[in-house]
Amino acid sequence: MNIRSIRVADWRCFLDEIQVGPFEEGLSIIHAPNGTGKSTLFEALRRALLDGHKVIGKDVEAIRPWGRNLAPKVTVEFIHDGQEYRIAKQFLDSPCALLERKENGRYRRLAEGVSADEQTREILTKNPPGKGLAKTPNWGIAQVLWVPQGNLAISSLTGDVVSDIRSMLSAQAASGSTGPVEKRIEERYLQVFSAKGKLKAGKDAPPLTRLKDRLEEAIAARQKAYDLYVAFEKASRRVEELRTRRTQARYNADETMKALRNARAVAEIYRTLVAERNQRSERVTAAEAQYKELKQRIDLIKSTKRDHGEAQKMLATLESEGPLKDREVQEREKEAARWKAELEDARKGREAVDKAVQIADAARRFNECGRELRRISEIISKIEKAEKALAECRKKRNVHVAPDARSLKVIRKVIKDRDDAQLRIDASLITLEIVPHKDGSVEVVSGETTGFMPLKAGTPTQVHGSPEVVAEIPRLARLRAWGPVGSVEEHREARAKADKKLKELTDPFGTSDLDSLESVAEKGKELDASVAEADTKLQTLLAGRTLDEFVQERNTFETTSKSFLVTYPDWGKTAPDTDALDAEAEDARLAFITRVENAEAAWDKARSALTAVSGQKETLSQRLEDSKRRVTTLREKLSELTSDGKSLEERESELLRTTMAWQSAQTRLAEIQGQLNQYGDEPVAVVERLEAQLEAANQESNQAREQEVREEARLEGLSAQGPYSALVMTEERVAQLQQEVRREELRVEAIRLLYDTVTACRSEAIAAVSMPVETTATKTLQRIAGRRLGRIQVGETFEPSTVVPESIEEAVTLDNLSGGEQEQLYLATRLALAEVLGKEERQLVVLDDVLTATDTGRLARVMNVLEEAAQRLQILILTCHPERYRGLKHATFFDLETLIA
Amino acid sequence: MRFLHTGDWQIGMKAAALGDAGARVREERLAAGRRVIETANSHDVDFLLVAGDLFEDNAVDRVLVQKVVDILNSFGGPVYVIPGNHDPLVPGSVWDHLAWRSASNVHVLFEEVSVDVPGGILYPCPVREKHSGRNPTSWIPTEGDGGIRIGMAHGTVEGVRLDEPDYPIPRDAAQRAGLDFLALGHWHSYGTYSTPDGTAHMAYSGTHETTKFGERESGNVLIVEILSAGAPPTITPVRTARLDWVAIERDLREHGDLVRVREHLESLENPGNTLVDVSLSGLLMADERAELDHIEQILGSRFVWGKFDTSRLRPSPEDESWITKLPLGIIRDAAMRLRDTPGTSSEIAARALMELCAIVAEVPQ
Repeated sequence: MNIRSIRVADWRCFLDEIQVGPFEEGLSIIHAPNGTGKSTLFEALRRALLDGHKVIGKDVEAIRPWGRNLAPKVTVEFIHDGQEYRIAKQFLDSPCALLERKENGRYRRLAEGVSADEQTREILTKNPPGKGLAKTPNWGIAQVLWVPQGNLAISSLTGDVVSDIRSMLSAQAASGSTGPVEKRIEERYLQVFSAKGKLKAGKDAPPLTRLKDRLEEAIAARQKAYDLYVAFEKASRRVEELRTRRTQARYNADETMKALRNARAVAEIYRTLVAERNQRSERVTAAEAQYKELKQRIDLIKSTKRDHGEAQKMLATLESEGPLKDREVQEREKEAARWKAELEDARKGREAVDKAVQIADAARRFNECGRELRRISEIISKIEKAEKALAECRKKRNVHVAPDARSLKVIRKVIKDRDDAQLRIDASLITLEIVPHKDGSVEVVSGETTGFMPLKAGTPTQVHGSPEVVAEIPRLARLRAWGPVGSVEEHREARAKADKKLKELTDPFGTSDLDSLESVAEKGKELDASVAEADTKLQTLLAGRTLDEFVQERNTFETTSKSFLVTYPDWGKTAPDTDALDAEAEDARLAFITRVENAEAAWDKARSALTAVSGQKETLSQRLEDSKRRVTTLREKLSELTSDGKSLEERESELLRTTMAWQSAQTRLAEIQGQLNQYGDEPVAVVERLEAQLEAANQESNQAREQEVREEARLEGLSAQGPYSALVMTEERVAQLQQEVRREELRVEAIRLLYDTVTACRSEAIAAVSMPVETTATKTLQRIAGRRLGRIQVGETFEPSTVVPESIEEAVTLDNLSGGEQEQLYLATRLALAEVLGKEERQLVVLDDVLTATDTGRLARVMNVLEEAAQRLQILILTCHPERYRGLKHATFFDLETLIA
Repeated sequence: MRFLHTGDWQIGMKAAALGDAGARVREERLAAGRRVIETANSHDVDFLLVAGDLFEDNAVDRVLVQKVVDILNSFGGPVYVIPGNHDPLVPGSVWDHLAWRSASNVHVLFEEVSVDVPGGILYPCPVREKHSGRNPTSWIPTEGDGGIRIGMAHGTVEGVRLDEPDYPIPRDAAQRAGLDFLALGHWHSYGTYSTPDGTAHMAYSGTHETTKFGERESGNVLIVEILSAGAPPTITPVRTARLDWVAIERDLREHGDLVRVREHLESLENPGNTLVDVSLSGLLMADERAELDHIEQILGSRFVWGKFDTSRLRPSPEDESWITKLPLGIIRDAAMRLRDTPGTSSEIAARALMELCAIVAEVPQ
């Protein structure tokens, strides 16, 4: 649909009728300053083509010129499908609408009133918008093509426009019933699943969830029933085992009882045999005892007789030995007395021995004392010599006056000061050196020394003085030398002071020559060293003691020596030979000891012999007594043994008889023992064992029975519950629920598959449809803004949603773009959509003051795009900046202000 | 001698696959027991032989035991029962119930001891444990007193099943033991075993009421008549079962196959006593989709129990109406995808496609 012209009257600011047009098929620019009425004109266009003429409300009332009660009017001429139409509408007061179509060069009435409204709207969209022109979703395809001021952005388009676009893109557009079908599918899906694809839970849960819960409960119940059934089976087996056990125990008990009976019979016979055996054994024992007694008596009688004979012999022997022993005792006593006397005599020699020892000891001490005396005297002599030597050294030293080290140091310093002073004096003096070429003389007029001085050729002659030196060489020259005024007097004073000090220090030594002084000092040191050495020697000799102490000690030794001489005066002449005296004393002692020891030994021996013999005598007496007693005893015993009057032969006969009786009893005993040995195990023990076994078997049988009774009761309790039947019911219930769950799962999965499939198909379809729009819009945007923003992505309803910059290949939302870029993006998208919508028929695009944020550079590129688009679309631009569009070659400009005027 | 031979009543049996219908099935087994007594009475038999597995398990509800005793007790003559491997003679077994003692005509034979029965001697082979490799008939003495000799045992005749040789019984056990007839229990299908001369002297009566789908020749009792010792027995199976277990398996290939399935279902007699297991595979036509629901409703409403397995049914790829009836665009794309690339579960994909068609049908156009 393209418009040719628009005429407006009594519409907001347009009191007088104005007509704008005719518009070309391509670009038309309506320009005017702000507030002139560009947007009002656009509004009038929209109401003419889209609104109902009878519409009321505040929005419509607002189009009435301010303060006037006029009915707004608009007339639009347009072309659609090659036909020219004219729609004229009056709003508010006496609203009316008239649609005309040009036929044969004249406009003929086509429709009026509501019909005119509807037919006009249908031109812009197959599904005319509903009421509410204020909302752009109600504009049909004009949502895309017509852009009011500030509304360049595209929000979601209405479904019909989307369908139109899709159908125009020849995509797999849905038919009229696709939307409801998809909606129903979605409803079915959402009945079961949440938006995130999970099975619903809670109160909105689908039947499948409840079925599964019930199935779970049924499975739990089945498990419980199964457990009960298993318990029943186990109890049955247990009872069977216990019965078997009881039966076995009973059987064991019965067998044991049989064995016990047999064993008891055997044991009875055995007991009888044992009793018989015991009897015979007693008889054997009695016979044996009798035999032994007889035998014993006979043996005893024989031995007693024998012993008695021997005892008598012994007694005779002992009686003959008595006198011999007495004689021996006497001899031993005499011997012992003799040796005792010898010992006493030997002991008397001790006194002489002691005396000899005493003398030898005194001699030794006397000699030692003499030696000490001599030693101490020698030491005292050395000490006295050393004291004398020391005194001499000290005397020499006292005589020699020499400076000590400190004094020498001071003297050196003074000499240095003096020399320094002299040096400074020399330095402060002016020196005049004359080196004559020939001999002569010079007169020193002013200097240290004045007067004439000879000059020798080639020999330098110096003249010193201060503050000047004046010298005259007769008939030759008067020489004067001067220098800085120095302090030579100070130096001279210092020198004099040093000389004085030096003299004071060195006068005692007789020289002020340093070398001499050092020699003297050296000498003094040597003397000091000799004094020290002499002192050291003295101290060594004293060894920490004094001379008086040594003298005292010598006196002591002298006194001691004198005391020995009182007792042994000969020692004063000749010193005693201590060795000889020691030897004598030793000899005497040895002789004494030897004699004494010999005597003692002999005496001991004699006493021992005496003691031994005495003992033997005692023993002999004792034995004699014993022997007598023994003889008596044996005689009495023999008398007792033979008191029954029997002879020995008679006794032996009796013994023989007893022996035979004993043997007979033994034979009979062996017979019965042989019978008893045929019984292997002890039958009584066997009986006892079997009795214990029987008791145990009975106990086990009873226990088994008790357990069996208990388990039977338990089994009965379980069987009364009919566990198998209960299990059957639960299993059937579970199977039933499982079937229902399977059925429901199949249904649910089918719904999910259906939904997913439809969703996938829709996404693919949309992708197929939106791709051309995205491609075209992207190309246009890149022409305007370059490649930086990358690819435009549109949503299901073709609204731009994101861009995918080439640099990051990630979608970026549009709010990250600048205002100008967003303008350009939306314009590119609208133009792409407009191209689609304009495929079948050239469509009108209206842009009311868009691209306000676009810079000049990009705006120029936008112009190129618009020029190209104008080849396929009728583009009407409303602007207050006509200069921006002056570059468009084929655009038609309409100055609204001029038109109004 | 005329007697009724039955066994394997499996009272209290589990029917897990039947879900909530299991209770009905169990109740029918008791009712079938009553019909056995009716049959015994109507055929004027001298006594009954119950060859084991009277109960499914020794731990069944004790009320069931009382009921069974009452049923057996309602027969006018003696009833001889042996324990089977499902209800062996073990502690806590059903045989401990006091009801047995009060039923004077019911004789539960616990010992391998011959019993005088009307017209002859019975050699019972009671079972004392669930599993055994012992031939239960081995104790039967070969010599008798010249009268009719019959035996009753519970086990597997050699050759019936190789993988379950419980209580193996030789194929010529009757001949070996010199029996005129050996009444067998354990297997639920009727079957006879003949001697080389072609005379059957051993037979399984089978269970008196079918226990599962595919169980052939079950739901009967046997009326056995032996005129004299050595005479060939006359064995007559009599039906006592009421429930029918019908398995329907169809591979749908053409348009109308599904309708025919539904018609077949509708033609089944006595649906109130019928259990149906319907398993469909093959191709489903788009316009027959509603038939599936119909069949499901019929199964759920008319029959004792119905199972409808359509997991192997797929939308026919040649039936474009699966797709063309759907709106163009995404919906149709989705339908094609579900049909042509079912992914990991073709059953789910088929179901999804059917859901889609159902939704499209619901939404007003």
